[in-house]
Amino acid sequence: MNIVLIAIQVLGVILLAPLVSGVIKTTKARLQNRRGPSLFQVYFDLIKLLQKDSVVSPTVSWIFKIAPYIYFAGAAAAAALVPVVATNSSSVFDFFTLIYLLALGRFFLVLASLDAGSAFGGMGGAREIFIAILVEPALLLSMLTVAFKAQTTNLGLMASIVESSPLSLAYVFAAIAFFIVLIAETGRIPVDNPDTHLELTMIHEGMVLEYSGRNLALIFWATAVKQLIMMLLFILLFLPGNVFGSTFFVGIVLKVILVAVVIGIAETSTNKLRLFKVPSFLAVSCLLSLLALVAQ
Amino acid sequence: MIAGDLYYLMLFLFSTGMVSVFFTRSNANLTNCIAHSIALMGSIVAILCAIAIFVQGKVDVVLLVMLPFGPIGSSIDNLSAYFLLILGVVGVATSIYAYGYSREYYTCRLPLMAGLYNAFLLSMVLVFTVGHVVAFIIAWEVMSVVSFFLVNHEYEKKGNTRSAYIYIVMTHLGTVFIITAFLLLAVGAGSMDFSQLKGSLVSENLRNVIFVCVLIGFGTKAGMVPVHIWLPRAHPAAPSHVSALMSGVMLKTAIYGMCRFFLEFLGAGPVWWGTLILVIGIITAVIGVLYAFIEHDIKRLLAYSSVENIGIILLGIGAGMVFMSKQQPIWAGVAFSAALYHVFNHALFKSLSFMGAGAVLQATHTKDIEKLGGLIKKMPYTAVFCLVSSLAIAALPPLNGFISEWLTFQVLLFLPHALAGITGKVFSAVLIALLGLVGALAAACFVTAFGITFLAKPRSKHAKEAIEAAPTMLVAMGMLAVLCIVLGLWPRGMLAILSQTLKSYPGIDIQGLVMHDWYVLSSPPGPSDGGISTVAIILLLLSGCALAMLLHSIFGKGKVEAGETWTCGIVPNYHMEYTATGFSKSIRMVFKSIVHSHDETLVNASDNQYHGRKLFYQVRIRYLFDSTLYRPINNAIIRTAHFMKSIQTGSVQLYVGYIMAVTVVILIWSTGW
Repeated sequence: MNIVLIAIQVLGVILLAPLVSGVIKTTKARLQNRRGPSLFQVYFDLIKLLQKDSVVSPTVSWIFKIAPYIYFAGAAAAAALVPVVATNSSSVFDFFTLIYLLALGRFFLVLASLDAGSAFGGMGGAREIFIAILVEPALLLSMLTVAFKAQTTNLGLMASIVESSPLSLAYVFAAIAFFIVLIAETGRIPVDNPDTHLELTMIHEGMVLEYSGRNLALIFWATAVKQLIMMLLFILLFLPGNVFGSTFFVGIVLKVILVAVVIGIAETSTNKLRLFKVPSFLAVSCLLSLLALVAQ
Repeated sequence: MIAGDLYYLMLFLFSTGMVSVFFTRSNANLTNCIAHSIALMGSIVAILCAIAIFVQGKVDVVLLVMLPFGPIGSSIDNLSAYFLLILGVVGVATSIYAYGYSREYYTCRLPLMAGLYNAFLLSMVLVFTVGHVVAFIIAWEVMSVVSFFLVNHEYEKKGNTRSAYIYIVMTHLGTVFIITAFLLLAVGAGSMDFSQLKGSLVSENLRNVIFVCVLIGFGTKAGMVPVHIWLPRAHPAAPSHVSALMSGVMLKTAIYGMCRFFLEFLGAGPVWWGTLILVIGIITAVIGVLYAFIEHDIKRLLAYSSVENIGIILLGIGAGMVFMSKQQPIWAGVAFSAALYHVFNHALFKSLSFMGAGAVLQATHTKDIEKLGGLIKKMPYTAVFCLVSSLAIAALPPLNGFISEWLTFQVLLFLPHALAGITGKVFSAVLIALLGLVGALAAACFVTAFGITFLAKPRSKHAKEAIEAAPTMLVAMGMLAVLCIVLGLWPRGMLAILSQTLKSYPGIDIQGLVMHDWYVLSSPPGPSDGGISTVAIILLLLSGCALAMLLHSIFGKGKVEAGETWTCGIVPNYHMEYTATGFSKSIRMVFKSIVHSHDETLVNASDNQYHGRKLFYQVRIRYLFDSTLYRPINNAIIRTAHFMKSIQTGSVQLYVGYIMAVTVVILIWSTGW
């Protein structure tokens, strides 16, 4: 029974993830007075890419070939751990496991970026790993507000604690802290720009520059899944209030759309930071998390 | 009493191995085979002996009789057996590896190396098992001296002798503190026997002094910051299979010593003991991994990574002592299990990495990863094993590093149980955040190390002509790689051993960790309060892969065309590849207060001013502790020596004058004016 629920959840997250990217894109287009592409354009792009042949450099090894699969598998496995549908507290749903599964995918993708032997890949990979290093402490700190309260890192238990607790100053601080982490982790402005691979600004896009066709589709899709996972974590762990109610699904869908719109607004209203300003940006997140701990 | 017999057999084998080289030294091949076969047998017997002790409990052996201070015997308990098991497992792998690797040394004093190799194993066995202060100190000293000679084995190479001397000086500095700690305890107990040494027999202040001595003394051997400076120098200088043993097992002798003292002799102490170890542990981990990341000598990188892992182990031990002093046996049990689990894991994956580095070194004759590249095609198996060890060190699931790192995270999360109040909470939060930083940096470090060494195009002629390592070396690496995976999937097996190891200590209760299914690792209290399931992780990953394959082929297989790497239209060559120095540049900039790096670009403009200029980019690192701690001490010693020089002129008359003067002064003083 539980396995069926988990399977439904994974498929649901995977299938809906591109739509969330579409919502963000549409929000940005509207804010910029454009009509923008259709809400489903991300799906069309993925389907187009999935039909294309690949061009692979003769320099690469098997690491380059398996990296998209592992990246996708890491994201899919992490999607199973978010307590959305399957909400019992069995020992699977662990926060650290989720983070390290995402890290596994990133590990292979950065390796693959070095594999083709171009400077673009290496530069993107180096920057990706640089940001990942800075995000990690901020991410753990923001999570601790909830984890100390729940006395566990089990995501199901953490979510149910958040559900039953009233809105407090600690949650406000922690939520802002995690939102900053969310922006950085999903490669959004002001940390990374997902819409460009201009060599001065690129991070994630530079890293996957050598990929094409079906492999690229897998990577794009997994990135969208990762983004939705981070948004779901934000909603489940940092927005207290009655999430698990009769209107559970409606509530969660509405909240995802809300967060997507907020990300769109944030992206339109800010500039991309210089890479070496990112540490201070994430330091703000760390300080807010510590404040949240003190305020708790 | 099979364990006792196995123990004597093991000692006999290692001693035979040591002596055998005298008879076989005329034939290098024979020396290699016999000495390393005996070491292999000895290591297998060590594993069997450890298992026998786990099964039948404590075993009493007598090593030497008819000594002035009574017979030296020991009763080998489970803690010794645990470390003996580590030694056995790593020893089996390094001995098999040594068959292939020693070919390098056929013309370079092989008999000496093989004999010392056996002696090194023997001395470590004794350190782990003897139960008498004098015997321990002797074994400890033999271990230090033997490893000194192994570090200095290739003394023709520049810098090795210097490294070896720094090593021997530092290790003796540590020994001074260890002897002090032992003697203070022994005087209190009135006996040199381990079973009589009790912290409760000495005064409170003296216990604190002993604690500090133990921490500095064993910390020096473990590579704790700031007394770690010998480690990144000595480990790279030794032959690779010895480096593997040094990092995998010798550092653990210090952890063994700490466990012995903290669990058995001293017992639970004040809270600041544990807190101090936690602070030192996290500093060690952060400093170690930062220096590892910016390093591009592969063996030095691994040595710094050992410093980092020692830091993680110290976190477990420190947390365990905090819980012990607050009478929380369950959490103390989890903390010590985390530390000891990581001890085993680190022994496995760091030995594996050093063996991989040795294979690369043998194939390419360079330790500088900037000169490597593309080795995954020349050395496919070595590459796979190195990938496994890199993943394990980066603590990624489903490998063993993840399990112990997860346990450490859990322990730190529950630290506020013992350290109440907002300070405890913030302290624990900062520790967790920094441990996260360490994990991410370790992943980055090993992405770089693996990526630059094995991927893309070869960066030098040596790398282009590399060939796969010898089969015996591959077998040894494969064994450890499989063990890394097994310990990642089957935490229960290791926990069962750990519960045997820790069960006899009063402040510790580890039952909560072992009452679940074989694949579940949970943090007490309660079965449902969080945990991980290794089988679930692997199944999820596999189904994710299957899903990815399904999506990949949903519109048919598709053609895969070969097309050169995109480099803006220029024919790609290895100069365009990213380097390890470039990879770590941003981290060097962000952490510049710790990592003082000095980057300079040298332009050779002798030819054309605009075209064809040669650029050299070099980075010099100023190591924080070398420049702020050791340089001043060094200078002070030299200044003192200069001062002494002026009164020690070598003239006998002057010395007689000194003696006269002193005698007169003493005479006057003794008569009381």
